[in-house]
Amino acid sequence: MIRFGLRLTLAGGREAAVRLIVIALAVALGVGMLLLALTGLNGVTSQNDRYGWANSADAPGAEQGVDPLWWQLRVDGFDSRTVGRVDLAATGPLSPVPPGLPRLPGPGEYFASPELAKLIADTPAAQLADRFPGRRLAGTIGRDALPAPDSLVAVVGYTPAELARRAGVTRVGTIAATPPEQCPNGCWRGIPTSGLQLILAVVAAALIFPLFILIGTATRLAATRREQRFAAMRLVGATPAQVSTVSAVESMVSALAGTVLGFVLFFLVRDTVAAIPFTGAPMFPEDLALDPVTFVGVALGVPVVAALAARLALRRVRISPLGVTRRVTPRPPRAWRLIPLAAGLGELAYFVGRRPGTTNGQIMAFLPGIFVVMIGLLVAGPWLTMAGSRLVARRAKRPAALIAARRLADNPRAGFRSVSGLVLALFVTSVAVGVMGSIAADRGTPSRAPDAANLITLFRDRDAAPIGDPVPAGLAAQPGVLGVAVTRIPPASVPVPEAPPGSTTFWPYVLASCDDIAGLPGVTPCAAGVRTVWVWPDLTGPDEWTGPWPAADVDPARLSTFSAQSVVTVTDGSTPALERARTILQLAHPMLYSPYSSVEFMAETAKVFEGWKRLADVVILASLAIAGCSLAVSVAGGLSERKRPFSMLRLTGVPLGTLRRVVALESVTPLVIAATVALGSGLLAAHLFLTAQMRLSLSPPGISFYVIVVAGLAASLAVIASTMPLLRRITGPEAARNE
Amino acid sequence: MTVIEARDVVLSFGETPALRGADLAVAEGELLAIMGPSGSGKSTLLHCLAGILVPESGEILFEGRRVDRLGETERSRLRRDKFGFVFQFGQLVPELSAQENVALPLLLNGMRRAAAVAEARAWFGRLGLDGLEERRSGELSGGQAQRVALARGLVARPRVLFADEPTGALDSLTGEQVMDLLVNAARAEGTTVVLVTHEPRVAAYADREVVVRDGRVHSLTAEAIA
Repeated sequence: MIRFGLRLTLAGGREAAVRLIVIALAVALGVGMLLLALTGLNGVTSQNDRYGWANSADAPGAEQGVDPLWWQLRVDGFDSRTVGRVDLAATGPLSPVPPGLPRLPGPGEYFASPELAKLIADTPAAQLADRFPGRRLAGTIGRDALPAPDSLVAVVGYTPAELARRAGVTRVGTIAATPPEQCPNGCWRGIPTSGLQLILAVVAAALIFPLFILIGTATRLAATRREQRFAAMRLVGATPAQVSTVSAVESMVSALAGTVLGFVLFFLVRDTVAAIPFTGAPMFPEDLALDPVTFVGVALGVPVVAALAARLALRRVRISPLGVTRRVTPRPPRAWRLIPLAAGLGELAYFVGRRPGTTNGQIMAFLPGIFVVMIGLLVAGPWLTMAGSRLVARRAKRPAALIAARRLADNPRAGFRSVSGLVLALFVTSVAVGVMGSIAADRGTPSRAPDAANLITLFRDRDAAPIGDPVPAGLAAQPGVLGVAVTRIPPASVPVPEAPPGSTTFWPYVLASCDDIAGLPGVTPCAAGVRTVWVWPDLTGPDEWTGPWPAADVDPARLSTFSAQSVVTVTDGSTPALERARTILQLAHPMLYSPYSSVEFMAETAKVFEGWKRLADVVILASLAIAGCSLAVSVAGGLSERKRPFSMLRLTGVPLGTLRRVVALESVTPLVIAATVALGSGLLAAHLFLTAQMRLSLSPPGISFYVIVVAGLAASLAVIASTMPLLRRITGPEAARNE
Repeated sequence: MTVIEARDVVLSFGETPALRGADLAVAEGELLAIMGPSGSGKSTLLHCLAGILVPESGEILFEGRRVDRLGETERSRLRRDKFGFVFQFGQLVPELSAQENVALPLLLNGMRRAAAVAEARAWFGRLGLDGLEERRSGELSGGQAQRVALARGLVARPRVLFADEPTGALDSLTGEQVMDLLVNAARAEGTTVVLVTHEPRVAAYADREVVVRDGRVHSLTAEAIA
């Protein structure tokens, strides 16, 4: 019977071959995407773990170990890119060596990542290389220490005497393998793993559902013909088990072929996908590694699920040798089908104000809710289709509308099935756009564009803040530097003024000399006659602040006796000017965070956000594409099964246009009804997620959302239109023959 | 007066000739039976007469107009407006009720739905289908389905009703009932009927019988003489 099944599958004519290919391609797409999503989950962890060693100082028990290193993590920058840097000094022969290094760098030596080494070689020394005392490159850092292939990382060697007296230096006896949970002193880290894992889990779900629908639709392709064939086998004495075996063999062959293709697809696109900075930085292809559990689970699980789906699809034939020879109206769907959708939304609503504290808890809270809403949409779809089509049937004036509405009302499950992939795609789109758009809106558009020309050197550690002139000699004389100002921390004898009643912003709290400010282009000047003012450390205020600076009753001559809070260096905005200034300041004040501009301050967050948006775009496009395939397969399958009645109608003079309208309306009616519900549910789910997880409200989607929705619907109409030539072909005069 | 006519019609399917110079004229109100063995070309001739197929050569005339020179759209309109059809099986739209199936040609001609359904219902009594108006095709017996198809074929009062093996899928008793109804209804409406069958008992209902053999039409008398 297995051999017979194989023969039917592989040599069953054109229709069997088309079915085999469509199912195999659907499974291949599914397997490929599933593997990318699952390995992506591992990849995020692997990538994040490679930030761990640099943050060893914050790991619990870091100082434990023989010959602990003197250690200082520094987050530097170059041309809006982050440079992760560790300054260290060995205290003995057994001092630990960070990953990716063959040995510890000696005093005056440094190791650099390949990308940084190249950058140093290509850049004038005053802009970058001078930041590494001694300037002897001892070698490149291996990928074990690099979060991304293009990471800029340096490990710089010092003598213990040099490093021990520096502020912010700690002892590290053990190199950490994973990033610490908490970084009280500040960390160098990438995108938060927890958030991304949650998002990737939703992504996996969002992609897998439409794919299952595509596989299911393809399995049902030419179901009537197969049902007839299986019924004929039963009539001549085949047992239900034998029929099941044949059907299982058919499904297994296509699913196995699809699974193998899916693995091939995964390895073909892995390097390309790894290079896309979904996490704000690209991954190494090896980050998307297949672990044995994923490999075995997918390789065995997918064919088994496909076989089960086929068995379910043919369950009626296994019961009766008569198969489905008599067509009767199926039982209409009941209103209880709305319950799962309501339950899913209810589950999400439950967690508003009850957000779990851990990532796993959040995944367990939100993922099932979104899953249940998706299942709920699939369950409710037929009922919604039936309700809508009954309404249309009652009001239909034209034959096309009447036939389409009657067919939908007659079998709303089949009608909805063809558009279910699109409905889920629209749900995913509305959730993704709702969440991303609201986060973007929450950040708001600053009234001032972030400034790339001003470098802020902020002394976060008040105890280590310099007194006297913190500005290195000669900085102001550098080409491209337009001015320098220093803000000072007032001593206890100079009270910080209270914010005026009704003010919603923090009030300026550090002091600056009006003489310094006067020379800085683009900075709000002091009022006439004022010599010292209260300012913010970056010499800009909140968006809504318009000035002027409040006057301070402090003699400017005293300012140099106060600790510095910040140095604001205004440049002409060119990279050479900015980087030369940063090199000078960074050498003078080796702190955790190097001087930065407001553009750079936002760059990392923007990069992460861009990565998320890119991920959302991929999900939207992929799910729409998959759904489009499902729709095409489904419409073509539906046409093929109604070949005879449609042909008869055409022969009796029904215009092809009327039949085309029937086919279009059969898909458009459930699409419009269910899509409306899907979009509403998606935005509601996004609102509930935002409220529960981020304490945000949903912002009304922007024009891009409507563009995507309209584009999705237009694409689906195009898919339906693409099947129309088939309608002309299958309803030709030859169908009128009685044989 | 001749309503529909084929003159020296030739048509092949690939290398296989189906009609090799078929001539046939059908008079107004006549009930003509086209007989012949399987593969003789009788259905092909019917399809040519009805404007479903276009012959390679020869002429098809309906009320003196060349049907074979009309485009696909015009031939579709002609079939919809002037002809009615009854096929062997599978002609009802399965999702529509019986009365909606019957009303379909009227709806296609632009009649309002309520009026079309009312007119369709009138046929149910005439054809012994009372009480079956709301049934779907899957809920009808073979004979009932053919009677619904007959009602659909006649509801728009066509000039010619083409019936291709209308009893081919029915038992003999049910077949006779359907033929009785077809003949009586057509006569009452004054409709010309072109009937394709291979059953002599069905052909016996016709005013005249012709036989298609090797792609040519022979009158039964000539056939008998030959």
